[in-house]
Amino acid sequence: MPEAIFRIKRHDPHKKEEAPRWDEFKVQYEGENLTVLEGLFYIQENLDGSLSFRYCCRASICGSCAMYINGAYRLACQTNVRHLTGNIVTVEPMPRLPLVKDLVCEMDDFFAKYEYIKPWLIRNSKDPDREIMQSPADRHKLNMPVDCILCGCCYSSCPSVWGEDNYLGPAALLKAYRFEVDSRDEARRERLPLFANERGVYRCHTIMNCVEACPKELSPTEGIQWLKKAAVRRRLFGRAK
Amino acid sequence: MKAEVVSTYRGGMWSWLFQRITAVLLIVCLAIHLVLTHFANIGELTTDNVAGRLAHAGFTAVDIILLAAGIFHALNGLRMVLMDYWFTSRSRAMGLSIVLWVVGLAAMGYGTWALWPWIS
Repeated sequence: MPEAIFRIKRHDPHKKEEAPRWDEFKVQYEGENLTVLEGLFYIQENLDGSLSFRYCCRASICGSCAMYINGAYRLACQTNVRHLTGNIVTVEPMPRLPLVKDLVCEMDDFFAKYEYIKPWLIRNSKDPDREIMQSPADRHKLNMPVDCILCGCCYSSCPSVWGEDNYLGPAALLKAYRFEVDSRDEARRERLPLFANERGVYRCHTIMNCVEACPKELSPTEGIQWLKKAAVRRRLFGRAK
Repeated sequence: MKAEVVSTYRGGMWSWLFQRITAVLLIVCLAIHLVLTHFANIGELTTDNVAGRLAHAGFTAVDIILLAAGIFHALNGLRMVLMDYWFTSRSRAMGLSIVLWVVGLAAMGYGTWALWPWIS
């Protein structure tokens, strides 16, 4: 039976006397495949019930189980242990985010910033009787940003976020891009001032850690650069979009 | 996150835009400056010959644009770095901008003053 060794970073910040530590677990599995999430389930059920981690869909679409696995941002449910180098699986919580316990990070700021940029379709004109039409070419522009699952990998990896607590971060700005680039969205002044400032897009220095970290292989930097140019176009040339 | 802190922040576009514009100016003016300084034949490298080249209006104009673009690009870049890690509050960032503008204008004045004898 194949076996994988899980090295998991454990820490409960509420217990001030306890320092972070590394626990090692041997996980045996049948067949060819074991995802990191399945390994964590096995550990929680059989070896240490106090292990904490987030998960939900197990199909890499909800973004709950983002972790730092073998030195890279990955979704635990999407990562096959067999595809990692060596037999040791090192699992840490996402770096630079406040810790709740073990592998669970505090995401309050992340979602507050997400909500702040008004991540919904803003319409000023009267809604048509049927669905709002969109050409295939316009829909094509949304292909990249709609795939964001809000896992927080980009946010955790961004040095501009590390330096500035109030920076909106790549995920929120990618979502702003997703709606600004949408042909059905009619926001003119509602969203622009929220992101076109030095706590928004102009804080991005195109370091591109977010692009490297994204488990869905999206490019928040591309969206942010588009927003920078769109803000200039609108302010200098008065373009609606 | 304090949303009100973010929403009071309006600036940033001009700083970003001019960083790009000055970058292009630097490439163009620096190339002209280097070519004229090193490859344009002014004869023997004497004070009179160099003064003659500096007195040329086009050459001086390129030099002054180069000076302005260089100072802005450098100080604005420095501002970005400092704001990322130390001057995170709005009031501190404003203070930093004012100090850098004073430094930049002083450097610009000094540079222009140094070129002035050749212009007038």
